[in-house]
Amino acid sequence: MTEPITVAHGLGGSSDLPVPYAFSVIGAAWALTFTFALVALAWKRPRFDPDNPTHPLPAAVTTFVDSRVVRGAAAVAALAFTGWVLLAGFCGPQMQSNALLGVFYVLLWVGLVAVSLLVGPVWRVISPMRTVYLLLQRITPELLAKPRLRYPESWGYRPAAVGLFAFVWMELASPNPAALPWVKTWLLIYAVGLLGGAWLCGQRWFARADPFGVYSMAVSRLSPFRRDSKTQRIAIGNPFDHLVSLPIRPGIVAVLAVLLGSTAFDSFSSSVTWRNFADGLARSIHAVPVSVSLSALRTIGMLGFVAVVATTFSLAARATGGLDRGQRRALPGQLAHSLIPIVVGYIFAHYLSYLVERGQQAVFALADPLGRGWNLLGLGHLHVAYVLSLHPTVLAVIKVTSVVTGHIVAVIAAHDKALRLLPSGHQLTGQLTMMLVMVSYTFTGLYLLFSA
Amino acid sequence: MRPPAAVSSTRVLLAALVGVVAVALAACGGASKPASGPGLTIDITIAHGQVTPANATLQATVRQSITLHVTSDATDELHVHSVPDHKFEVAATANQTFQFSVDVPGSVDVELHHLDRTVATIHVHP
Repeated sequence: MTEPITVAHGLGGSSDLPVPYAFSVIGAAWALTFTFALVALAWKRPRFDPDNPTHPLPAAVTTFVDSRVVRGAAAVAALAFTGWVLLAGFCGPQMQSNALLGVFYVLLWVGLVAVSLLVGPVWRVISPMRTVYLLLQRITPELLAKPRLRYPESWGYRPAAVGLFAFVWMELASPNPAALPWVKTWLLIYAVGLLGGAWLCGQRWFARADPFGVYSMAVSRLSPFRRDSKTQRIAIGNPFDHLVSLPIRPGIVAVLAVLLGSTAFDSFSSSVTWRNFADGLARSIHAVPVSVSLSALRTIGMLGFVAVVATTFSLAARATGGLDRGQRRALPGQLAHSLIPIVVGYIFAHYLSYLVERGQQAVFALADPLGRGWNLLGLGHLHVAYVLSLHPTVLAVIKVTSVVTGHIVAVIAAHDKALRLLPSGHQLTGQLTMMLVMVSYTFTGLYLLFSA
Repeated sequence: MRPPAAVSSTRVLLAALVGVVAVALAACGGASKPASGPGLTIDITIAHGQVTPANATLQATVRQSITLHVTSDATDELHVHSVPDHKFEVAATANQTFQFSVDVPGSVDVELHHLDRTVATIHVHP
């Protein structure tokens, strides 16, 4: 009778060493200095525009990416990969080394950010549920030919925000993130939710409600690759121009707040302060098992972090004079794109070693999904190269650099957009609160990297 | 043609990045090193469903011998979340010792499994 081991992220092993204090302080000083230098000295007219010119790549690139064969092949390959992972999850050894856990928590959650940042919103092409839907549509055209309902656009990205919260809850707040039955139940609910929604509202449901799709789309706005707004050809352009093209829909701030708040909570929940507090409180409640009350506390803590991010960002965005109530209410959405670099910088700082080292582990585990000693592609004999853990100083520099870079990109984006949105006379004072809030996110992030 | 501001903002960004990396690297020299003694011993007492210490923070180095000296009134399991992982069966007796070392630097949690508590987090430095 062995219960699964309760470990952070459901993967076991050690976590990163804290970033040295000096590094955090230096990072914080740079973030602060740059922010106020920017507000005081930078350009006074908005520069970034999705319609700005780009450097087009050869036409063959666009033809290749848009070809039905290439897209179909990518979708089928991703579906086959998913099938392989599910084979491991359902038929493989039901323990922590199961390939499903590594793929779910590392390759999907962090790998998707890296790929979307490098090449664009790939999830739209490779989403296994979308492929399943399209295949079903071919098989039963009369059932899925056209949507029964219009997607309620007032929902915006809110279903995706709920889905993302469900994911981070599973990873960081559930009683046992390594429990395969829970992960499989999560995936089942995800699959049913997406297919059911698509049955009602058609493909639009995937674009608005698939948490991974919206995550991938948001991150991809930082990518240097995009489609030229006039020619639709794939081109290289200034990521700042690309960032502004984030669609403004209800729930977009919530999506980004879930991503940032949960990552911060992940750091915080491994601190001694939180552990002592949670252990003490959970053990004073006798009605339920400790693991349940700890999970409830973590859920409340994570909701708190997400709520703080969403509230501070929204209030800071609205804190300007010279606009009426309606215009002010629209500001958080219009500035939401400037949160993306903070989210991406912080996720990399936090999960980079997971991606690089646990990612290898996850791939190796896929060589033997059923635990029968298979050794596909010779992967089974390889050992994880702990390239980052073995060099904690390099890792600390990368972490602080990515947090500070994310911050700098965010304040540049917010400054430029403020110039476009705020009336003259309020452009300096109107963006001050936002700058302060961003500085406080970065300080908190750096503090958590150093303390946990 | 690229608008001039995009170029200048990229340049500002680059300058800032170079600065951060340079200063951070310069600071490495001053980073404090944990003392590497003959070995680290943690005295753990489990009594009446309570464990001492709990949520302690300790320092160690890679391949240093770490000894858990356990006195318990209940059976349990100690899990060491390191690379490689270690797992020790705790019996309901006094003066048990378990020894291990860690190969890869990182923050290593030592957890008491059935009691569901973290005894200590060991920062294992290179």
